[in-house]
Amino acid sequence: MQTEYQNLISLAQTSSELENLRIKLLGRNGLINQLFSDIKTLPQDQRHSYGQDLNALKLFFEQLILKKYKTVRSSKIGHSKIGNSSFGIPKLGHLHPITQTERQLNYLFHRLGFSVYDGPEIETDEFNFARLNVPKDHPAREMQDSIFIQEPNILLRTQGSSIESRLLSAEKPPFKAAFPCRVYRNEKVNKSNHFIFHHYQGVAVDKDISLKDLIGTIDLMFKTLYGPDVVVRYRCKYYPEVEPGLGPDMQCFSCHGKGCSLCKGAGWIEMGGAGIIHPNVLKKAGIDPKVWRGFAFGMGLDRWAMAKFQITDIRTLLGGNLAYKPNEK
Amino acid sequence: MKLIYSHLKTFLPDLKIDPNQLRDDLALIGHFVNSGEKIDDDFVFDLDIKVNRADCLGYYGLARDLSVLYNLPLQITNYQLPFTNYCLPITVTSPDVTRVQALKISRLDNTKPSPDWLLRFLKLHQVNPVNLLVDLTNYIMFLYGLPCHAFDTQLSTDHLIWENNQKYADFITLDGTKLKLAPDTLMINNPNTALSLSFLGGQSCAISTNTTETIIEMAVYNRSRVRADSRQLKTITEASLRLDKELDCQSIPLAFAHLTRLILDLNGGRVSSSLFEYYPQPVSPPQINFDPLKPSLYAGINIPKDFSFNILKRLGCQITNNLVTPPSIRQDLALEEDLIEEVIRFFGYQKIPTNQPISSAPLPDITPKILYLIESLKDKLTRLGYDEIRSWPLVSTPLNSATVVATQNSVNNDYPYLRQSMIQSLQSQLDQYQRLKLPQPQFFEIGKIFYKQHHRFIEKYALGIFHPDPNQLQKDLKTLFPTHQVNRQDGYAEVILDDLPCPSSYQPSLQAYSAYELNSQIITLDANLNLDRPKPAQKLIKKYSSLIDPRLLWQIQLIDVFHDPKTKLFRHTLRLSYFNCNDKTAKSTHLKTFKLSPSRSVSEK
Repeated sequence: MQTEYQNLISLAQTSSELENLRIKLLGRNGLINQLFSDIKTLPQDQRHSYGQDLNALKLFFEQLILKKYKTVRSSKIGHSKIGNSSFGIPKLGHLHPITQTERQLNYLFHRLGFSVYDGPEIETDEFNFARLNVPKDHPAREMQDSIFIQEPNILLRTQGSSIESRLLSAEKPPFKAAFPCRVYRNEKVNKSNHFIFHHYQGVAVDKDISLKDLIGTIDLMFKTLYGPDVVVRYRCKYYPEVEPGLGPDMQCFSCHGKGCSLCKGAGWIEMGGAGIIHPNVLKKAGIDPKVWRGFAFGMGLDRWAMAKFQITDIRTLLGGNLAYKPNEK
Repeated sequence: MKLIYSHLKTFLPDLKIDPNQLRDDLALIGHFVNSGEKIDDDFVFDLDIKVNRADCLGYYGLARDLSVLYNLPLQITNYQLPFTNYCLPITVTSPDVTRVQALKISRLDNTKPSPDWLLRFLKLHQVNPVNLLVDLTNYIMFLYGLPCHAFDTQLSTDHLIWENNQKYADFITLDGTKLKLAPDTLMINNPNTALSLSFLGGQSCAISTNTTETIIEMAVYNRSRVRADSRQLKTITEASLRLDKELDCQSIPLAFAHLTRLILDLNGGRVSSSLFEYYPQPVSPPQINFDPLKPSLYAGINIPKDFSFNILKRLGCQITNNLVTPPSIRQDLALEEDLIEEVIRFFGYQKIPTNQPISSAPLPDITPKILYLIESLKDKLTRLGYDEIRSWPLVSTPLNSATVVATQNSVNNDYPYLRQSMIQSLQSQLDQYQRLKLPQPQFFEIGKIFYKQHHRFIEKYALGIFHPDPNQLQKDLKTLFPTHQVNRQDGYAEVILDDLPCPSSYQPSLQAYSAYELNSQIITLDANLNLDRPKPAQKLIKKYSSLIDPRLLWQIQLIDVFHDPKTKLFRHTLRLSYFNCNDKTAKSTHLKTFKLSPSRSVSEK
């Protein structure tokens, strides 16, 4: 019997066949139980060893069937289905954390009357630097190391402001546009640093644009991302493409401004840059700075997305081990 | 740039502000404080000084800003020095020299140790003390932001030449490093020996405790020259970080006289030459037309006219009617907008209200329509169950070598090419998901692909999709692109979006999704439940999901229902995936969960 059923088990092709065999052998009315019930017909001195042998046989078949289960295909009855919509539960798709963040901001800026703009990732020195008031030997170039396609004039854009310089040249004011974008800098890739960044930038050009318009707009952006209780200060900060320049700092949420290891003792975390567009930038785009004034702002999205989704390694965001629970929104 | 609170009082003796308040105020006027540390009874700040404010790479420049902010008198001492008639035989042949002052000091006693205050100052600035004379040159550099140098004239002679290198192949620095020199490197030499770079001294004439005679110099150069030399030699020093910016030539006499005075007072010695001065083309500061109403217009709040003029005067500007001449130390003030920024930053950015965003009146839509297409496709794909990925656009192998766009200095030499197809990125992502044993990955990416065509660089938006079931992929593609033929290969498909018609508008929708960082393989286990009748999948999944920690449970699926005609029971097979845990935890959770069910069997997938 052992040999016979051992063969049958090894030949089973489906889980239903295997299940049938299991029930036949090990079920309540199965063979093993029938053999157990025969124990009372045996002489007293033989019952102990008989019982031991039967237990060993039972264990043998249990283990064999369990092992075989791993290799057979499931049988299907009725509406069973593996995969995308198991038994009527659809798999949910998910947007990437960066896309979610961009949409949140696009939604806000759409309500503020902004368009969304775009520009090339392979950029020229002209649009990436020169038109942004950063001539060739300007120290500000040190702030961003470039990845070149053809040094020195063709590179992967290092900042979203390259889209700004294209927008200013292409469109006639007044206009308002936001541009989520990917930028590239020659930086070592490690847990907290990457050569690809995601920026969110925006530009508004009209008559009589002021820092008050800019600060109010950025503040709304921060409240959208961080909630109404976020504490942000606005201070003077230098960027070559704006004047006056502006830097928003968020109060460190860990120490509330006192200084800690997270904010490296500063009490505040720098959150990007902004300002009134430099007149040289407007002039290079053919816009008369005596008539038109504009503001520009930009911030990085990666660290925000990492904090929100509790991602500890920036590399996860790009082609890494980021995944989504199939049935969770 | 380090800043010792107590040392600010060199220029601001009346400074009494609380150091924490000072830290905040410095940031508000444009000098972000990276960190602040209390050391003994003093405070040391680490400031982030921007490239346009080279004047603030010294205490003098920062003190000038603070004197305006706090309306405190600035203490400056103009030292008078006793020169002799001896003219130093110095020559300047380089066109990269803007201004030099130099003089000779003899009968020095450089064996004297540096005083404690100087040693402490240098220590807090993370500079090693060397000897008294060298320490004083470093001190003055930090004080005024103007580098200076001393030559031991017993080694260098008095015959110094500022020139662009034409004859020296190598240079040995103060610490013995040999640098390979390029032609035109700006140097200070004597007729026979390379003595110094513009930003770094040389070993051949280094100051030691034996030095008794020295020529000290302070100079400003063509910053582009210094920058080029420093980068070519791959050598950056505190001096080069200052000299490669716009420095103020007019501050040289003040700083140089202070250095000389300190040397005479502390090292002993006497001035033994006249002052060598080279300043062939003094630069006149610009005269800027300034409208005092403009700060209000730019800020969006009322800033009184008088305030504007007051601030500019306190900054050292000369004002005649509305014509403003900035002080030479402020090389960054060249336009009216620069002056406007000065007024606003001292008035206070923090006074500008934060609750009045730009008018929401819409302007003509200038959104490229392809962006609408992209967003609407993303919505459709997620509704079909696809997850969005984002990946590197750099790949290791090109699909077509003739048209591939290569980077010249990729961050990773293994990935030098810009992708020519989204499928290249999807394949890498699938490899990663397979390593993680992610069950049934199904994902997409919309991004750029790149190629060369007729010497032009072309980039286009493309959609790449992966589904493990090619038949399902085919169905989904028909749903997404009913009239467009899409090429697919196994479970992959790619569509160039630039070729497709775009919607004329799009309303951004807000949906929040979760995402997880997987730090280990997903562990998948099965469990069988024998029930007297079939149960709806949702009920079973909901029941057992609630029993398992969501921080461990990735997914539950009902994958099979088998009706045993003999027992009349329905065997429901649940497949569970666990994440971010090890085998042991997954199995023990699994067994613990299914001990609660009436009958069970466990198998591992």
